Order: sequence, then structure tokens, then C-alpha cells
Amino acid sequence: MGAQKSDVEQLRYWRENNDRKSREVLDIWLNGLWLKVNSLGNEKFLVLEQVCLAALDCHIPNVAETCIESLSQSFPSSLRVRKLHAMYFEAKEDFGTATDILNSIIKADETNSAARKRKVAVLKAQGRTVDAIKELTDYLKIFMADVEAWQELAELYISEQDFSKAAFCVEELILHNPHNHLLHQRYADIKYTIGGLENLETARSYYSQALKINPKNMRALYGLYLTSSALSTSAKCSSQRKKEAAKLVEWSLKEIKKRYSEANLMVTALAALEI
Amino acid sequence: MAAFHKLVLSLGFLSMFHAAYSAAQHRSYLRLNELDFTGLPSDIFLQALLSLLIIMYGVLNVAGNFKEIKASADLDSKSWETFRNIPSFYTFSHRGKSFAA
Repeated sequence: MGAQKSDVEQLRYWRENNDRKSREVLDIWLNGLWLKVNSLGNEKFLVLEQVCLAALDCHIPNVAETCIESLSQSFPSSLRVRKLHAMYFEAKEDFGTATDILNSIIKADETNSAARKRKVAVLKAQGRTVDAIKELTDYLKIFMADVEAWQELAELYISEQDFSKAAFCVEELILHNPHNHLLHQRYADIKYTIGGLENLETARSYYSQALKINPKNMRALYGLYLTSSALSTSAKCSSQRKKEAAKLVEWSLKEIKKRYSEANLMVTALAALEI
Repeated sequence: MAAFHKLVLSLGFLSMFHAAYSAAQHRSYLRLNELDFTGLPSDIFLQALLSLLIIMYGVLNVAGNFKEIKASADLDSKSWETFRNIPSFYTFSHRGKSFAA
């Protein structure tokens, strides 16, 4: 009983954190949770949905089938279950049937954002990124406050190497969530990739902001080092600014070395334990 | 341990209600004897104060752990890899298929 409880807690943790641990979820399920699923109460259906997704991710269709079946027995007319059906066909790469199901969901409920998002995912799975971008921008005209969609749009633009548009999407995300260091870091990443003196300076300040919000962000530290070393050697930069950048290079390098020496201490301590 | 704290909490509430009831009794006793109200007897006062403290202790332990007051504290340990992962946009045309076979 104790082991089962921690399994359920683990699943809940992964579900709430958006971890994509499909193989692990499936292992927990097959190692006995499937026998006890009826004792979970209200959480049963959430677990079933999670396991169904994990099974589709690992391409084990029979587990997904049983999950969908027991869900549709409990909720015969649910659109959320029908969406899982569509995803099942997606995993089988039967994109036509999947799109038909999704269209029928949207017809039944025009405000169903999940089905519209799945349509974008269907296009993405087929490699039709440009169509997916078009579909997603149409979606964002209706649901402008959908943070996930903005984030996905940024990723799609990046995969098309349309960095300035991706940067706009991330700006939108920062407006929604100004305390998230990862977004600042992402914005700086994009600006650094575009390159050029002005963009490098923007990248540097956003990396600094990310570091300010979360001093543990190693990637932002490296970004700060790279941007300021690029600035300090840039020909277009004035000598005053070059000096400032050189100072930042020195500081960030010192910080990085400090982090590594702390981490190395841990490594040697662990190695000593193993002997 | 949680059961113990719940017990403490309910004991505290019981004791608080008892103090309130005693205070009401005291007022009606004064009224019947046509005495002036000068203040609560110290034992009732002390009981009310003690049960308040007990309730505070119980509530603090029953309510669960405190959250960090910093707005971004939850995000500090997250990485971009978890944050970028959005279940609504999962696609299944990846290496999972070859591993399953």
C-alpha cells in the first residue's frame, strides 16, 4: 500500500510539472498500478489520461486502447476522451481520421481550445511547419492569452529560423510572466542567435536579468560570458563599452569557475565514497 | 503525526468554546445577582488565551508547508527542458516507435 501511494504521488508530480517521463509512467502502470486503479477515487481518470498519453508516446497501442476504453465507459459523450481518440490515430499516423475527429469536436464545441491545439500538432507531426504556424496564428487571434500557444509558436518559428518573429512571441510570454528567468534566458538566446551589435547588447541585458532572478541559472551565466566577450572584441564597439564588457567577461568567468570548483568538490567526494 | 495535530486543534477549539460558555455563564450570574460587570475572572481569561495559542499551534501544523514568498521561487529549480514541454502539443512521430518494436 505504501509503495502504491508513492507511485501515485510520483505520477501526480510529473503530471503537474509537465515532465515528459512516458517510459517511467508506463513502468509504474505496468508494475501493478493497473490492478489498483479503481481504488484511486477521483484521481483515477487523471491517471488514466496520463498513462494513455505515455503509452501513445512509447507506441504501445494496447495500453492506450484499454485506457481510452475505460475512460469512454465512464464519460461516453466527453469531448476530452474523443480528443484522446484522435491522438490515438495520430500515433498510428492516420492523420486523416485524427483531423476528422478533431473537426467534429470543434464543431460540437467551438471554444474547445485543446482540439484546436491538437490540429496544430497534427500538422507539426507531418512536418508541415508552415501550415502549423498559420493554424496557430489563427488560433492565437481567438485565444490571445494562451501562454502555451505563444510558446509553441516561438518554437515553430525557431525551427523555421524566423528568429525575429520568435523573439516577438517570447516578448509576449515575458509580458505574461515577468518573473520567469527561463523566458528571459530564452529571449536572450534568440537575440544572441540573430547577432549584430544591438542584438548582442539586448541579449546581454536579458541574460543579466535572468541571472538576477535566478542566480543558479548556469546557461544564463554562459550566455553572459559569450555575449560580453563578443562585445569586448567587436570592432564597432566604443572603447568605453569594450572596457565594461571586458569587466563582465572577467566576472562571469570567475563565477563559472567558482561553480565548477563547487561541483567538482561534490564529484571528488562521491568518488571517494566509491573507493 | 498529522492525527496528533488535528487532535490538538480540536482540543483547542473545545477549550475555546468552553471559555466562551463560561464567560456567558459569568455574565448571566452577574445579571441574576444584580452585580456590576468589572471584568472577566482571571481563570476564564487565561483559558481563552491558552486555547488561542493551542489553536494557533494546531492550525500551523495542520495547514501544511509554507510556500516561499519570492514570486519565482518555484521556478528556480526548473530547467528550460521541462518548461518548454507542453502536453497539448505533443507529437508522436519520434524515436519512440523504433524503441517499442
